[in-house]
Amino acid sequence: MTRSQGPLAGLRVLELADEKGQFCGKLLGDLGADVVKIEPPGGMSNRHVGPFLDDIPHTERSLSFWYYNTSKRAITLNLETADGRTLFRRLTVAADVILETFRPGLLASLGLEYGLLQEQNPGLILCALTPFGQTGPWRDYRSADLLHMAAGGQMASCGYDEADVPNAPPIAPGGGNAWHMGCHYAYMAIMAALVYRTVSGQGQYIDVSIHEACALTTEAAIANYVYRGEVLRRQTGRHHAAGVTPRTQFRAKDGTYVTALISGGLNPRNVRNLADLMGSFGLAGDLNDPKYQDPAVIAANASHIIDDLLAGFIASLPAEEVYHAAQERGFTWGAVRAPEALLDDPHLLDRGFWKQVEHDELGRSFIYPGEAAIYNGSPWRISRRAPLIGEHNREIFCDELGLSPGELAVLGENRVV
Amino acid sequence: MVNEMNGAMSQPRALENIRVVDFSWVRAGPWATRWLGAFGAEIIKIEWPENERGRLPSSTTPQNLEVNLNTSGNFADTNVNKKSLSLNVRSAKGLEIVKRLIAVSDIVIENFSSRVLRNWGLGYDELCKIKPDIVYVSMSGYGHTGRNHHYTTFGPVAQAVSGLTHLSGLPDEPPAGWGWSYMDDTGGMYGAMCALTGLYHRNMTGQGQHIDQAQMISSVPLNGPSLLDFTVNGRGSRRPGFPPGNRAHWPGTPLVSNYRGPTVAPHNAYRTHPGGYNDWCVIVCHADEEWQQLVKVMGAPMWASSEKFATVAGRLQHQQELDEHIEAWSMTLGKYELTERCQAAGVRALPVQSAEDRVEHDPQLRHRNMYRPIQHPALGTHKVQNAPFNLSRTPASNHLPSPLIGQHTREIVEGLLGYSHEELRAGFDDGTFWPTKRARFSYMQEMLQ
Repeated sequence: MTRSQGPLAGLRVLELADEKGQFCGKLLGDLGADVVKIEPPGGMSNRHVGPFLDDIPHTERSLSFWYYNTSKRAITLNLETADGRTLFRRLTVAADVILETFRPGLLASLGLEYGLLQEQNPGLILCALTPFGQTGPWRDYRSADLLHMAAGGQMASCGYDEADVPNAPPIAPGGGNAWHMGCHYAYMAIMAALVYRTVSGQGQYIDVSIHEACALTTEAAIANYVYRGEVLRRQTGRHHAAGVTPRTQFRAKDGTYVTALISGGLNPRNVRNLADLMGSFGLAGDLNDPKYQDPAVIAANASHIIDDLLAGFIASLPAEEVYHAAQERGFTWGAVRAPEALLDDPHLLDRGFWKQVEHDELGRSFIYPGEAAIYNGSPWRISRRAPLIGEHNREIFCDELGLSPGELAVLGENRVV
Repeated sequence: MVNEMNGAMSQPRALENIRVVDFSWVRAGPWATRWLGAFGAEIIKIEWPENERGRLPSSTTPQNLEVNLNTSGNFADTNVNKKSLSLNVRSAKGLEIVKRLIAVSDIVIENFSSRVLRNWGLGYDELCKIKPDIVYVSMSGYGHTGRNHHYTTFGPVAQAVSGLTHLSGLPDEPPAGWGWSYMDDTGGMYGAMCALTGLYHRNMTGQGQHIDQAQMISSVPLNGPSLLDFTVNGRGSRRPGFPPGNRAHWPGTPLVSNYRGPTVAPHNAYRTHPGGYNDWCVIVCHADEEWQQLVKVMGAPMWASSEKFATVAGRLQHQQELDEHIEAWSMTLGKYELTERCQAAGVRALPVQSAEDRVEHDPQLRHRNMYRPIQHPALGTHKVQNAPFNLSRTPASNHLPSPLIGQHTREIVEGLLGYSHEELRAGFDDGTFWPTKRARFSYMQEMLQ
């Protein structure tokens, strides 16, 4: 292994994953693992999820599929046929990790349960990532991103102050983050099992529940209930809380918003710093009045300071200008950006964050988001665009498993591949 | 799901014999090391009470207890499976001791802003001199490189700047955002993922490295499809109907993907009986068959037989009316009963659950032992969140309660590093292990006996 390879170079992963687990496969693949995606003939259902290239729906034009399946190769294999299962077993002999998101019991019903696969390959790690895990009363319940955000507790914490949007529902943030939460925990469990295997040589079976992953992802909400019996209320653009807290999201001159938290709350030091920041734009109001160095006066005028002066200051400037001016003065503030605004962020450009990915089938290349973290000794990289359906059938079945082109053709005719 | 504590102790641990020097504080870093600890690594928190952030201030101290460094409930849940060494790393003697600790450790992890550790004389080059194959994970706000590396974050700021906040809310209203520090939880995940990946790489190659993880940076790849919609199709997400609340698509706006799976209706939250603050359920129908099943569950009402609801295009076009009808029905049922009836018919539905619901009422989390009591020396016995995965051979477990500050100072200084008891006492007297002017906890007096 050289320093130009990713930290997972040399690992072979078989991915039998739909929208629930494909991000985990990407995390492994972009860090150097050889991820082979196994799809049914015709491709995975999530190739039908938009948005699509030029808004033309097609299994090879799903941008969602493109994004979540970088750095993978793909083969087709019908596991409901005996030939398909035989080929799958042969692939598992040389595999390090299997990632699967089938409903509980499906692999076993095909005669492909972990115990049997492990007999041929003691180091094999199988991670089953499912909505609710392999056991329990909800085991066979159906799910969706929105369902997990409801039951996991995200929605109970997200929404609006009654004064801002009367009768608002609890809100589920978008972007498919329930799947992300499940995939982060699945990745972690797989890596722990891999580390253990470097010491013991032994593989193992991992049962990951997306519901539990989501239920773990609401910061202090569980602690607030367990230690104090509190059920938290939703607030606009800021933390859930047992009681009403000062607002932290303010509309800027350009109509977008700024998140402006006063770390440590309003105290004489923070008021002084705030006066300096706002004063540098000639917008300090009366905040330089010495009376504000008295904590009691600050407390009595908190609403004036926040809702008049701070809100007025931010309303006078574009969000990006407030963000950078505040950060340069040590305030932990941020502009509420749409994702596309990130493309011009000089900081991300400095870090070489955006990657050009070649789509040779189209003769074009597109910009993709880059790495969550920089591995200085073993770089992350997108090794290839998402695979076309069955793109690597020949590489895997013929070059690797030794099938003849004729045999592959027969398997194709019989809907095995 | 976590095995019984006794059972777990007799089984091997995935990170057996791995030691982590943990400088992290507040939430994201400690959430990372919590999981390394659950896998069996020895986590040694380096703490100092004069600049503590995480134990104080606390809004999660039980009402009947004094707020002090050992009584934060959230800290207790976030810091299970760790030990605590109180040490003034800003003193020459403290620095010398922490270097001896690093020399016998595998991972160093911290979530300070970008230049802090280097300014202490513990930058990556220095760490390598002490332990050549060290895996060093820094978890800063913006990373150690780039022009804004000195900027700082909390979860909500990383979420705002990265575009995550913009994904959440109703159209034409301010962003609802995330009602907690999603990127403290998720930043913590990435910290742990980086540490495990670096450790695997070290075990395979013998080489350590510095991994530069950052809260704001790690947020950006979570916006993949919306970013590609822009870089490929030129479509931004400041547009009518975005974000579409809980729907896949907002009625009366151009029909486009809003990056949450298939564009379908129904796809929304509905009030349930008896109409309390968290009495809501969500229902999603991905296909006509699922819709037809929902119609049956609702008792095949007249309105549902209308031709305009028969197709997904019709349901999207008449979504407002559809949702009003569904809610009139959902209001007649409790959220758990509605869930059971829908799921029995193959319809995707689940309740909105508060923390109380998850701990007390969720039958699945109960079955999976998600919340199991642990005894803590200052807080008493409380439920702690368990792992969402079961590893058959090396189960994760919560085997140690969150440490009291400095609770393991003697064990680490004398037992692990080999200093004498006299040196420990001298270090307490000269302010290396505890500020000289600060009252000592009783367990500190005991360890000096």
